[in-house]
Amino acid sequence: MDDRLRETLSAMMDDEADELSVRRLLSQEEQVEVRAQWQRWQSVHDLMHRGSSPADGIDISASVREVLDGRTRQPEPALSQRRNTPVRWQWPAVAMVTASLLVGFGAGAGWDSGNNPPNGLASASVPEAAVNELSGEASPVRELALQGLDEQQWEHMSRYLLEHAQHNSVGAGQGSVGYARLVSASGAY
Amino acid sequence: MKKAEYSGLRLTRAWLRMSLAFILAIGAPAAAASGKKTAAEWLEQLGPALNMTSYRGVFVYARGANVHSMQIAHRYRNGIVEERLVMQDGGSGEFVRRGMKVVCVLPERGKVHLDQIIPSGPFAEAFSSQLVPVSRWYSAELKGDDRVAGYDVVTVALTARDPHRYSHRLWLEKNTGLLVKSHVRNANDEVLEHFQFTSLEITNDLPDSEFEIRTEGHEISRTLKAAGKLPLKQVQSPEALTEKPRMHGWKLGWRPQGFEPAAAPGAGKSQAVAFSDGLAAFSVFVEPAGRVSMPTGASRIGATTVYMRQLESEDKVFLVTVVGELPPASARRVAESVQVGEAFMVGAGEQ
Repeated sequence: MDDRLRETLSAMMDDEADELSVRRLLSQEEQVEVRAQWQRWQSVHDLMHRGSSPADGIDISASVREVLDGRTRQPEPALSQRRNTPVRWQWPAVAMVTASLLVGFGAGAGWDSGNNPPNGLASASVPEAAVNELSGEASPVRELALQGLDEQQWEHMSRYLLEHAQHNSVGAGQGSVGYARLVSASGAY
Repeated sequence: MKKAEYSGLRLTRAWLRMSLAFILAIGAPAAAASGKKTAAEWLEQLGPALNMTSYRGVFVYARGANVHSMQIAHRYRNGIVEERLVMQDGGSGEFVRRGMKVVCVLPERGKVHLDQIIPSGPFAEAFSSQLVPVSRWYSAELKGDDRVAGYDVVTVALTARDPHRYSHRLWLEKNTGLLVKSHVRNANDEVLEHFQFTSLEITNDLPDSEFEIRTEGHEISRTLKAAGKLPLKQVQSPEALTEKPRMHGWKLGWRPQGFEPAAAPGAGKSQAVAFSDGLAAFSVFVEPAGRVSMPTGASRIGATTVYMRQLESEDKVFLVTVVGELPPASARRVAESVQVGEAFMVGAGEQ
């Protein structure tokens, strides 16, 4: 499964995936792999919340497709409806799991891969970002995979990271921790 | 742990729970009488101990998938702090600090020019003087004794009182109060950031030679501004001498309680402000959007969140970035509360 699919899948975990991406995911030939990945992530999520994983062995691709076909004209109400459910209290855990999985499973795992971002990911995330975010207290925060940034975006973000780390290093009252953050940020590109 | 100590601790904990708002006022004298320091007293000692203890050692720092180790020598003599840090992995590099003068030697990497970024102060006072109010935003609790890098330590848990900040755990050396290990944890008690000495020697016997630069490379030297002097922005632009020069051109509609403006670093078209609650800090950057199109959303590296968004205001597009040790939801809320004023928009048009 490529990074683009993985990102869509992770966006689905956060209720953030757009319809086109989901369709693309469902039309993939490697459905077994997609399903396995989804179940793994759901298992981790459920383990964190309930200590068990009801997602095992359930195929939801057909019902997701049905929902998509039935609601193509009005995706927005569906979204806002979902945001009012108790899911809001679960987002940090889901986001956390997604983030760690993205880092863990991502190509060249981790912070240092910023030099070689997969271009597909970068081009996928920018147009989505241009669409105004559906903000609100209840909505989950959109996670940006670091691997998804292109070189210029990465450079831009590094600058902010460094500048912030530098604020800390000079006097956060934490001495070496601040310097460590600075080095960690500057070693990241 | 001895039984007497344990029962003392339990009493202290119960007391903390009962009188959250009066920890410092009431809890401290009670504990002092029994000859045992409270969590609040350990915290008061943290700032001075970081500067006034002399030591050498190696520490590791981990956040996200990233782990670094650094060698450090720190000396406090005649009222002057001297410090030398040497990176132990990756490219070679070092920091040397003497008083308010900092020299960085970092390997050439990427396209980011460090000389545009390295120190602009004055942050030290703003941050470290806030250590006491920390207990307003975190509940402090002693977690017992431990041993780190060969030294006996006391563990202090600082649990966030609201969801807008992370919790911390500090391990402090018993004699000096030096911070020898720390965790930043989220609401699920997962460790997001880890700092720890792996070897440590607390000693006053540190020769001058340990504070000399030895790495070859491009040196960047800066003098930090002493506390109380004018921030950079005020010096640069006379019109900035208004009521809130640090927030010139834009303002925040919301920020987590307790985070106070600490400094306005940087120059040029970027307007940045750092905020701190005494323990955690975040920086807000607002600048006209350039040619680089940035996606909207949050990225995380350990305990550090970077939240970016585009802000459109009367045909002008600005990039708002919040970077700091705070949860993504709080970072987003801060970023979304930024409002750009007219003055800044005129400035942006001239770029």
